[in-house]
Amino acid sequence: MHRREALKNVAILMGGALSATTLSVIFDSCNAPSKDSDKLISADHQALITEMVDVILPKTSSPGAKEAGVGPFVAMMIKDCFPAEAQKVFVDGLNDIDKRAEKAHNKKFVELGTSERNKILSEVRDETVKTMAADKEKAEKEKTSGDNASKKEKEKKSYFFAMLRDLTILGFRTSELGATKAFAYVDIPGRYDGCTDMKPGQKLWV
Amino acid sequence: MNLNIKATAENTYDAIVVGSGISGGWAAKELTEKGLKVLLLERGRNIEHIKDYDTAMKKPWEFQHRGWLTQEQVASHPVQKRDYPYSEFNEKFWVNDLECPYTEVKRFDWYRGFHVGGKSLMWGRQSYRLSDLNFEDNAKDGHGADWPIRYKDIAPWYDYVEKFAGISGQAENFPHFPDGQFLPPMELNCVEKSVKKRVEEHYKKQRIITIGRVANLTKPHNGRGNCQYRNLCSRGCPFGAYFSTQSSTLPAAVATGNLTLRPFSIVTEVIYDKETRKAKGVRVIDAETNDTMEFFSKVLFLNGSTLGTTFLLLNSTSNEHPEGLGNGSGQLGHNLMDHHFRCGASGEVEGFENKYTYGRRANGVYVPRYQNIGSDKRDFLRGFGYQGGGSRGGWHKDVAELAFGGDFKDQMTTPGIWTMGLGGFGETLPYYENRVYIDKSKKDKWGQYVLAIDAEFKDNETKMRKAMMDDAAEMLEAAGVKNIKTYDNGSFPGMAIHEMGTARMGKDPKTSVLDKWNRMHEVQNVYVTDGSCMPSIACQNPSLTFMALTARAADHAVNELKKMNV
Repeated sequence: MHRREALKNVAILMGGALSATTLSVIFDSCNAPSKDSDKLISADHQALITEMVDVILPKTSSPGAKEAGVGPFVAMMIKDCFPAEAQKVFVDGLNDIDKRAEKAHNKKFVELGTSERNKILSEVRDETVKTMAADKEKAEKEKTSGDNASKKEKEKKSYFFAMLRDLTILGFRTSELGATKAFAYVDIPGRYDGCTDMKPGQKLWV
Repeated sequence: MNLNIKATAENTYDAIVVGSGISGGWAAKELTEKGLKVLLLERGRNIEHIKDYDTAMKKPWEFQHRGWLTQEQVASHPVQKRDYPYSEFNEKFWVNDLECPYTEVKRFDWYRGFHVGGKSLMWGRQSYRLSDLNFEDNAKDGHGADWPIRYKDIAPWYDYVEKFAGISGQAENFPHFPDGQFLPPMELNCVEKSVKKRVEEHYKKQRIITIGRVANLTKPHNGRGNCQYRNLCSRGCPFGAYFSTQSSTLPAAVATGNLTLRPFSIVTEVIYDKETRKAKGVRVIDAETNDTMEFFSKVLFLNGSTLGTTFLLLNSTSNEHPEGLGNGSGQLGHNLMDHHFRCGASGEVEGFENKYTYGRRANGVYVPRYQNIGSDKRDFLRGFGYQGGGSRGGWHKDVAELAFGGDFKDQMTTPGIWTMGLGGFGETLPYYENRVYIDKSKKDKWGQYVLAIDAEFKDNETKMRKAMMDDAAEMLEAAGVKNIKTYDNGSFPGMAIHEMGTARMGKDPKTSVLDKWNRMHEVQNVYVTDGSCMPSIACQNPSLTFMALTARAADHAVNELKKMNV
């Protein structure tokens, strides 16, 4: 039906922005919505998320994710859009971040300086990349041996850091500040020009 | 507009139209303009043009979940959620699957919208004529029943509906790809222009790339505004810039003063009169009150969508028609088809780093079918076309996996590499065993039995899909595209939302349901002009053909009425 939107969605996936896993977790879920979603994210967790999204997309020449309101957005999305298993992965991931901060610096993540925060998230990111690669390899092996059941399990697996990063990018790209200050957005273009010259400082259209 | 809210003594009309989507809207327009008093029945609620497009002007940040589905929506829409069309952006245009279940003997993704306008509000708007190549294929290779018409029969009606609907496109004078009455074409972007030039040179114009022919206005037309290049069509267009029942056919029908529209009217049965051997009306359930009522007319147009119409006919049994209305041939419910797609190739394009685009064009490029034509012989029957396009996204080659931080942010907000892709849309053969029937083990919210769907793609489609990938890669390669990757994301019947067949037209009442005027062979005042009438589906997007067949059938019906043949 609406092919262009589909292509755009695929482009977003391909664009290194969103990982396919995060989306498939949502769509493959067949469970009823979690009843306790309201209590899922504590005030401390909310503060932690808000600081982390600003490490992922900090203020540069344009506003950062924190200023764009992405912190509360990520928490709301986890509550509304994800099945219980993925919600648990996410909350466990939050607790793990504070444990790492505690262990390395005897402080909470939100009390750390920029370089310490970056270091912790880099570690988590590197571990996530490794785990995802290992899971993928395992799934490929099972695929060739024809084990479909575990393939399905694999599709549903959630990764804390990938979820956090995906939702941060989604929230930032579609926020008013992000769309209009970091990206370029025109509500009603009114015409299509298929070949313009790139201007200095040209931003990506959203 | 007259709204018939209660069934009254005045429940007799000249014509009843069942369904208000693309073809039903056309039937209502044509019949009312020819002077008939028409009752238009729609099973869903009313959607008023512009006023009820409540997400059309929203900005991205005004959607709480930015388009994503909540777990509640996933739970209540187990089928609609399977693919991208159902999202927060236009969620009210899609059915709650739990209220209207069906049985998937094999997987079939059935996308439905119950409201005035039907899928004309959410459709893809790609509009292509069929050609004699398509009308002759069944007769030539023996699959399916021969079409009872040829291109010359429908060509003037394509002209007629295109002029009213407003189709933008480029005339190409390419064999088997008939040109039409076009508004100015949308523009190709610089990458598409380059790929077009190189592909057409390489294949010596045996293959062409053209801008998509779409029912989007490139200039004001019949009082409707032109496209604003927002690419938000599927939310409903506040400028009336694409063809829908609401923007186009309904206002025309209303203007005649001859139309009565009744939303929330689920037609469950066509009432057959054995004395006259004609249909005398329809039985209806009010979707809100569950009241049942009857309406009567001299002529009936069934436009309830391919499977909606076939369900209605199968459900309309009598002593004279024990297997469903007009089903003496036994073909009703059989020969279900849909396009298979979601495979092709894409790659990266270099050399346009200092070029970009402005505006969001809700359209791409089109490659008309070139296989099994002339010297191009394949190991499969029939063929496919491509839709695709070039675009410049935010992806940069040197981004590390799961990258984050300030440099990453600055990079992802600047235009990255250009990509170009082509995705095939393939014809599926009419297989008798691909069928639907009524499943009496299950009922919907309104106490009606449900449809069982048993259809699959077969060897011919599988072979074609390989070519859909290989040819796309070969063409992109010829155009100098780099890092080409082929893909097959898998395709199940229903996914293309081009389901057709199950009440086919044909020359012989023994092997078909409808005659060459889309009239039931066995019930001469019932016309079926939605997708169910198609004896084959070609590879082109079908809605324009439904429009032309509907206008043609309406003209025939009114002539028959005048001659007192109905």
